[in-house]
Formats: sequence, C-alpha cells, structure tokens
Amino acid sequence: MRIPCPFCGPRDITEFAYHGDATLTRPAPGDAAMHDYVYLRDNPTGVHREHWYHSAGCHAWLTVTRNVSTHEIVGAEMAHKEAS
Amino acid sequence: MRKEYGCVLDLTQISAFAGLRPVGSGRGLIVRERIGLALATVMVRKGRTAALAAAVKEQFDIALPAGPHGSGSDSTSFLGTGPGRWLVTHDARTPGFVDSLSRKLEGLASVVDQSDAYGVLRLSGPSILEVLAKGVAIDLSAPAFPAGSVAATVVAHIGVTLWKVDETPTIHVAVARSYAGSFLHWLETSAAIYGMIME
Repeated sequence: MRIPCPFCGPRDITEFAYHGDATLTRPAPGDAAMHDYVYLRDNPTGVHREHWYHSAGCHAWLTVTRNVSTHEIVGAEMAHKEAS
Repeated sequence: MRKEYGCVLDLTQISAFAGLRPVGSGRGLIVRERIGLALATVMVRKGRTAALAAAVKEQFDIALPAGPHGSGSDSTSFLGTGPGRWLVTHDARTPGFVDSLSRKLEGLASVVDQSDAYGVLRLSGPSILEVLAKGVAIDLSAPAFPAGSVAATVVAHIGVTLWKVDETPTIHVAVARSYAGSFLHWLETSAAIYGMIME
C-alpha cells in the first residue's frame, strides 16, 4: 500500500503512522459530546477519511481518503491548511 | 594541558563515519565523508513563508525551495525536508555560521543547530543506484529523482535525508550521527559485491 504524500510523493505505508478517523470535530471542553468524541467510533465500509502522520518522511499530518473495504487510497491532502 | 575537575578545555572533532574503510575489490561505490559541515534546521514561523523566501534570497542569493528540492551549492544549500522546513548545509567553514543564520532569519524562522547531529556522506560511482536500491524504497533514477531532488525517507529502518547534486549521479546522505555506525554497516554490506572505495 502506498500513500501519495502531497509533499514527498508516493511513499510506502511503512513510512506512515495511522491516527484514526478524520471526520470528527472536537467539541467544546465540558461538552457532553466529549465522551462520544473520545470513545465512540463508527465502523464504516467503503470510502473513509482518516489521519496519517508521515513519521519517516516530511513529518506532515495528512488527511487520507481510503476505501476501507478494498484498501484503495483515493487521495491524500495536508491536514493543516497552511502546510498545503 | 591539565584538566581540572572534569572541565573539558579541548574538544576533539571525531568524524561520525570514522569507521569508513574500503570493501570488496571493485570501484562500484565511491564514498567521501563531508567533514566539518555546519548544519541547521530552519522552520518557518506562521504566515512568514514569503518573507523568509525574500530574506534567504537577499542574504544568500538562494531561491528558497517550496517542495522536496535543494537550492544553492555545496557551499551553502537549503534542502526542503518538509512543509515549511529546511535543512541548511554550509561547507565554507565560516565560524559561527548557524548563529549568523539565526540572526539573519530573526522573527521569520526558528533555526536549530544540527552540526553535531548528523553525519553526511557523499556517494557516487557506477553502482550507486544499485547499492541504494537495496535499502531505499523510492526511485532515485534520473526521471523520477532529478538533480536537485531531496527525499526524507528510511533505509533499513534508519531515517535518512538524501539529496542528488548532479546526474553523474552524486547523492549526499545525512544520517543521525548516533545511527552512523548502523547505516555504515548497511552500506558496506550492500556495496560489497560492487566494491566500495574512499575518495
């Protein structure tokens, strides 16, 4: 599996660390939704958006669009707007 | 000179690749350690990329690369190693280079001295690409990785920064100094069949 890093180009999956669901938004502190944000996860099929960290390359956080059924990587972009 | 109470008055420069020695019988890989380099990481401050590029142009007459590319020369180069981050190499033996770099980029970027953090090798020779292909998972041949390209990647689980300076090809590689011995072990083993010599 390869991830097309927007900075480095296509790189082997072993250069990256997986960090989970990129579709969540952190709620305000003290909000009752914090429990769900921290602990509850959907188990989707098909195309999903997730965070990956290019730990052995450019050290950028990426938002990767991946089909979790086929493992096809549909795309990758910088998680941080200013970095892209 | 007498040392008192463990106070070290004289520091000796010890090369990171002091164990470098010829391997095998051929001349497939030619290696030279770049000794005495000044190295620094430069990380741009928020929203100051354009101002940093202008300052680098004015102070060094170097076009700050936006992607994984290098600008400059062996004397002074800016190597793009990540978004908003560069590895600066300086080989002109200017005393206090990193301090002066830090002052020149004041307010625009964070400058951290890495001179004693990396060992740097200059690699060339007819078998260089075959040797590196044994550990580098990216294509280093000319169309995919032309002169001026920079890559931060791993070799045998060891983080490396590679940059190609010409199409001979000549490739420079920076390795964290504490991993220099392990990297050299990989390099010697991989180059043995082609032969490795010191320049």
